[in-house]
Amino acid sequence: MVATSSPGAHLRHRSERIEPVPTSPPIRVAIVGGGRGGTALLDALHQIGTIEIVGIIDKDPSAPGLRRAQEINVTIYDRVADLIKIPGLNLVMDLTGDPAMKSVLQEQLMPETDLVSGQTSRLLRALVRHESALQTELLHAEKLAGIGSFAAGIAHDMNNPLQLILGLAENLTEETDLDAVHLQARDIIDAVKRTTAICRDLTSYSRRASLQQDCLIAVNGKLDEALKIARYAVALQDIEIRKLYQPDVVVKGNPDELLHVFVNLITNAVQAMEHHGTLTLETKAMADATQVRVSDTGSGIAPELLGRIFEPFFTTKPPGKGTGLGLYNIKNVIHHMNGTIEVESHVGRGSTFVLTFPSESSAGERKTPS
Amino acid sequence: MSEFKSGFFVGGESSNGRVLIVDDEPDIRKVVRMTLQKAGYDVLEAENGEKAIEVINSGENRLLLDVIICDIRMPKVNGIEAIAYFRQNYPRVPLIVLTGFPDTDMATSLLRQGVVDYLVKPVEGDKLKASVARAMEQRELAHL
Repeated sequence: MVATSSPGAHLRHRSERIEPVPTSPPIRVAIVGGGRGGTALLDALHQIGTIEIVGIIDKDPSAPGLRRAQEINVTIYDRVADLIKIPGLNLVMDLTGDPAMKSVLQEQLMPETDLVSGQTSRLLRALVRHESALQTELLHAEKLAGIGSFAAGIAHDMNNPLQLILGLAENLTEETDLDAVHLQARDIIDAVKRTTAICRDLTSYSRRASLQQDCLIAVNGKLDEALKIARYAVALQDIEIRKLYQPDVVVKGNPDELLHVFVNLITNAVQAMEHHGTLTLETKAMADATQVRVSDTGSGIAPELLGRIFEPFFTTKPPGKGTGLGLYNIKNVIHHMNGTIEVESHVGRGSTFVLTFPSESSAGERKTPS
Repeated sequence: MSEFKSGFFVGGESSNGRVLIVDDEPDIRKVVRMTLQKAGYDVLEAENGEKAIEVINSGENRLLLDVIICDIRMPKVNGIEAIAYFRQNYPRVPLIVLTGFPDTDMATSLLRQGVVDYLVKPVEGDKLKASVARAMEQRELAHL
């Protein structure tokens, strides 16, 4: 049983179709202007399954929107006339703010093509910016809500070294053997360092995802970091952890957001196993894609629920135990990275979440109009 | 203090009592052992519930054991499962919980099940010794 979520496509079910997914032809959109507004709009529309971005144009070849278009395989045009004559084009979005461009478009557009420009474009840009800010807030809020479930793990990991420190310090007040004093003082220093590391890990994880440009992320290291964080949320002592890492696997994205994705997937996997089973983390670099697989041997997901797991506020956890935003946010982060997320699940046997990203060598290829 | 052998308590009148500490953290077992041995107790250790059950069922330990100190969050057989086993099979041996995570609901539930004390780490040596001493009194009453 498989469910897929990818940018440009709503959830699809493969192998077994649960119910017919209504299909209607996508809205074919062209974007004129690749500045900040055009880039933001490109990113937003790219994630909507019912919209097909057929092309983009900007007179500045180094415009950020054109770079982004290359990354997500949207065709870049050199002439406005070529772009707006694409057969079946429904809508042209002019984000240049240039009245001359608006009048040219109004004159040359085919009757069946609508135009969005001027103040309407500005309004649209403002809405896209607002939606993007909300997504960021939602991701952070969901992460903070998740950290609430770390309390037991943090208390366990903090109070154990504190018990050692207290016990040794009490003993030192009466200890007369100098060698024993040195040994116990060293144990205290080590215990303090362990406690400090817990605080460092958690303060780093709980901060807001940095707004830095996407960068190359070493996936194996990020998965290991996520395991360290996830152990505060779920007990890993009885979980067998298999790491099938291919060396030097990288993806492009926001490292803080990817860490959050991995922590969520690992936490879900362990919870599905009710703390007994095998967690497999696998990374693989293929010719044109990079894949990360997170598998568990847990309860699996019922077929009738599989198609809904990426919906916002959908959860099978008891009230107060989950926000229902975890997988929804994961899907958004993966889509922002131009990746896809697919789930294979069998009730009673477990689930595998497969994350597929464009490989770094293929992501930057320029696609030119035919 | 009576002679201590690895894995077995040895009977003798000189010991203040025989305590089994069950915790997955070697550091915790070490420091609890240190505190209790200085107070005249014999101490055996187990790293999880499964090992604890093995230790109790070894030799005459089940007869000589006076108090069990048990953590909650442990691999294999965790504290909750282990405590249920101890209460069922060794109802006369007093149990003290020593946990890193204070949880009021769990504390209430465990005390209802007959656990004599619920201590949250870090606990001072004097408090731990007082708790073990109270448990010893209960153990002696159980023998009457």
